[in-house]
Amino acid sequence: MRAPLSWLREYVTTSATVEEIARRLNVSSLEVERILDVGVADVDGNVGRFLVGRVLEAGAHPNADRLRVCQVDVGEGDARQIVCGAWNFEAGATVAVALPGALLPVLDAPLDERELRGQASRGMILAEDEVGLGDDHAGIMVLPDGIEPGTPLVDVLPIRERVLDVTPTVNRVDLLSMVGLAREVAALTGGELRLPDVEDPAVVDEEPVDVTIEDFERAPRYVGRLFRNVAIGPSPQWLRARLHFAEMRPISNVVDVTNYVMHVYGNPLHAFDLAKLAGGRIVVRRARDGEELRTLDGTLRRLVPEDLVIADGERAVALAGIMGGEETEISEEATSVLLEAANFEPLGILRSSERLALRTAGSNRWEKGVDAYLAEPAAELASRMIVDLAGARMTGHLDVHDGLPEPPVVRFRPGRADHVIGLEVTDAEQRSILEGFGFDVSPEWDVRVPTWRARDVTREVDLVEEVARAVLDHVPLTLPLRRHVRGRLSKDQRLRRLVEDVLVGAGLSEAYTWSLAASDPRPDAIRLPDPMTADQVVLRTTLLPGLVEAARVAVETGVEERIGRFEIARVYLPSGEQLPEERWRLGAIVQGGYAAAKGVAETLYDALHADLAVRRVTHPLLHPGKAAETDAGILGELHPTLLEGEWGALELDLTTLFAAAPDAVEYEDVLTYPAVRQDIAVAVEEDVEVGALVAAAREAGAPLLREVRVFDVYRGEQVGEGRKSVALHLAFQSPERTLTDEEAAELRETIVARLAERFGAELRA
Amino acid sequence: MQRRPERDLARVAAVDAAALERDALAALAEAETADDVERVRVEYLGRKSALKLALREVRDRETGIALNTLRETLEAAIDAREAELSRAELDRRLTEERVDVTMPGERALRGHLHLITQIRREFEDIFLGLGYTVVDGREVETTRYNFDALNFPPGHPSRSPLQTLFLDDETVLRTETSPAQIRTMEAQEPPVYMVSLGRVYRRDTPDATHSPTFHQAEGLAVDEGITLADLLGTLDYLCKQLFGSDRKTDFRTHHFPFTEPSVEAYVSCHLCDGSGCTVCRHSGWIEVGGSGMVDPNLFEFVGYDPERYTGFAFGWGLERIAVLRHGIPDLRELWRNDPRLLGQF
Repeated sequence: MRAPLSWLREYVTTSATVEEIARRLNVSSLEVERILDVGVADVDGNVGRFLVGRVLEAGAHPNADRLRVCQVDVGEGDARQIVCGAWNFEAGATVAVALPGALLPVLDAPLDERELRGQASRGMILAEDEVGLGDDHAGIMVLPDGIEPGTPLVDVLPIRERVLDVTPTVNRVDLLSMVGLAREVAALTGGELRLPDVEDPAVVDEEPVDVTIEDFERAPRYVGRLFRNVAIGPSPQWLRARLHFAEMRPISNVVDVTNYVMHVYGNPLHAFDLAKLAGGRIVVRRARDGEELRTLDGTLRRLVPEDLVIADGERAVALAGIMGGEETEISEEATSVLLEAANFEPLGILRSSERLALRTAGSNRWEKGVDAYLAEPAAELASRMIVDLAGARMTGHLDVHDGLPEPPVVRFRPGRADHVIGLEVTDAEQRSILEGFGFDVSPEWDVRVPTWRARDVTREVDLVEEVARAVLDHVPLTLPLRRHVRGRLSKDQRLRRLVEDVLVGAGLSEAYTWSLAASDPRPDAIRLPDPMTADQVVLRTTLLPGLVEAARVAVETGVEERIGRFEIARVYLPSGEQLPEERWRLGAIVQGGYAAAKGVAETLYDALHADLAVRRVTHPLLHPGKAAETDAGILGELHPTLLEGEWGALELDLTTLFAAAPDAVEYEDVLTYPAVRQDIAVAVEEDVEVGALVAAAREAGAPLLREVRVFDVYRGEQVGEGRKSVALHLAFQSPERTLTDEEAAELRETIVARLAERFGAELRA
Repeated sequence: MQRRPERDLARVAAVDAAALERDALAALAEAETADDVERVRVEYLGRKSALKLALREVRDRETGIALNTLRETLEAAIDAREAELSRAELDRRLTEERVDVTMPGERALRGHLHLITQIRREFEDIFLGLGYTVVDGREVETTRYNFDALNFPPGHPSRSPLQTLFLDDETVLRTETSPAQIRTMEAQEPPVYMVSLGRVYRRDTPDATHSPTFHQAEGLAVDEGITLADLLGTLDYLCKQLFGSDRKTDFRTHHFPFTEPSVEAYVSCHLCDGSGCTVCRHSGWIEVGGSGMVDPNLFEFVGYDPERYTGFAFGWGLERIAVLRHGIPDLRELWRNDPRLLGQF
């Protein structure tokens, strides 16, 4: 919302500068996005070059049909000759004049004395857009009669204005109003609040107002007022200027009054052409299913029973709280007006406004919950202005409601505020803070909440907030006492970091890929019913496709010697219950084939002190002949259709993997007595897995066989077709004594015999 | 003590010991290389040398002693000359050998942690140091934990499918990490000091500053006597840890469903030190995160006594830290995994 300072200061007297006001509001009330400077520049006495003038003569220009030559009194004694192109005034009019040398926001250089078609022009008669007071350039500004020529223009019109651009939080709809802001500024800067002093016009020639509310829940209040002899016309310049600064477009006096008063009080108003209301009636009711209404923006809208409408005797004439209807809008011909100052419930307005995708200044306020008590002062100010500006008579008044809500009374303990804030604020100060914000505090600390805060403040803690925000700048910086804290990562969290570090050390880089994928190998993976984009549709059950994409990016970039990527993230497995099973997974992809993936897995298991055992499997994302599973997941060569080249890939469930990692590693004595090392080579059929040989050797050599390692696999004529020779390195060691060569030889025999027996292995060396 | 033989009288057996010593030492003095020294050793101490032959034939004790003394003298002289030459050789190498120290080294392959992980760890470590635990919350949540328990009123915009990704009417991709706070409080009695970090999801159109998935870091402290001052002090510490000890903090009233009072934290701009630049939009201050005192409604939901316990909570975006502190110009780049970006951190 835009809050022009001169308008704000009409309601609050404070010595604070605009910067101080902005600072205090920022800390305690709402966000001040910026302070805008509008109007004419305030440099080198520029503002003083704008004066009120009176047109003494307005004559034809001898050389130009479209121009006039005016003599204008600007309080200098002699009149100035000014050539003017506007025709919306005559001699005697009071106008705004810029003197030569003036800087205008619409001109690049200072205004010159110059000749226009042979006639000297020593100044300019101003239109509103030339001093930033509006957008209209159809004619010059005609000011009210009676202002002394030579009066500084800035005393009459806000040609030099600073405007606060503010955004209140949703709970502070009361701050979407000049009065609300003024109250806040008064309380925060020690200023004095001066509410608009309105004399409600008397009802004359009274006639009945026909208003019926059918749904009090949705429309708790409706103040209707009738006006006759309304002269629709443009609003005076000051009103147009204020609306312009507040980012509203001036339309006509009556419509402008409704917008102006909304800005003053935060209560949106509407005006109907009474003559267009069938039966002169107002019925506040739900829309009939399929009922149609052409709103002011020209759109024909199809309504549903959840929409609240203002109807006349026959049909809907306005979408309640959101937008008026085209048929009953105030046209230039209107002479009778029904003014609506109502109250609508927020949720209904929100739903209709969302459904119709129609957000207006009105709906923006209603959907946050407007104080039902505001309808009355808003109606009074608007009535006063319609009477004053449109020369109207007020002929009827009706206030329909089903009892207005009593504002809550909250018991408050000032000590509780201190306790929550951590700052001692005296009782007197707390009382003064609350009263400044409009709360009524009894001697026993029963706090009556002002009606405009009744939705937001209902509990003691809400009052604590009121005190806290007022003293926020003084709250000390402390840390909690933390008498019972225990800050440590869990085992899984520590091991996740370990895995990250090990993989980074092994040359892999971490990738972040999306939880939502275009598709997933699991047909039952969870799909979003209403995805944002086609590539984020399904909650992934595997990390590999994302990593393949990351590897593809790496290949395209082409800056790495050897590409390796990993990611630690969740997958979302359908569980048959409301929430999927979320598992932490590690995924990795590395350049190279099966051995590359296996190498990563070995490094990882080794770092975790866990045993890696693999079994052959098939997996849709892996090469069918080069895929294995471990207890924790899969590893293998990436299926060649997924990415060009040979890639190793693995995906492990971290909870399973970490369960296999011991909490503490127990020392094994390999230092005291030496190991006896021996190598053997055995020939076996091609389909015997070396893992099976190793396992059998281990079993046969236990417990003195400390290490078995495959160090060569040879195929060739000497071994024979369909066979291979596997070389194993064996190390025998006892923690209790030095083994003799005979013992080692015996163990070796046992192992060879076991391999022969189980796999038909022939000892070659 | 052994009697030292008279050199003049050391003409014994078949050798002239004095001449032998003189010749050997002269030859040694002329030796310029290890090979020269080796030749001297072979000539004077080798198996067929005059000295060795004489030693083999010696019969009397005195001559034996004299010859052995000579042998020892020669051995010592040869060793000394050898050491001298090798020392000279080393000196020569040390003088002559040079590398271009600016040549590249032989590097081990090294990977990189993603920037967000690095920030995540840093954030975790700051709070581990303060005694907080780290909680991994779930990402798919019920509306009950994502909204109801967090005091989101009916009609709150976050509850709308326009802002939130729904799986069904009662299941969403979490819009903040806060449900983990509720689940933690449900599971344990106070005190609670925890941070929770991870992915959150919103229906935001991606652009340079928005990503439909991003990472939040949230903290919660619930105990007897937790105050707003404790919250501000904690955030001040966090800001200084993340952005530098010279930073100043500023706190402004805000509104969130789950906290009362609510506060938005600002840190003085680390780039311009408060004088105004494009990063802080010429205000000198950068908004870093929302926070506040835990609303008593949350305590009622989890069964804590709101009279006895107070608490604070705060939520930050990890990407925002990356953008502010490291100058990442576009959040979307953090998801592309371009090695030229990853490799910088």
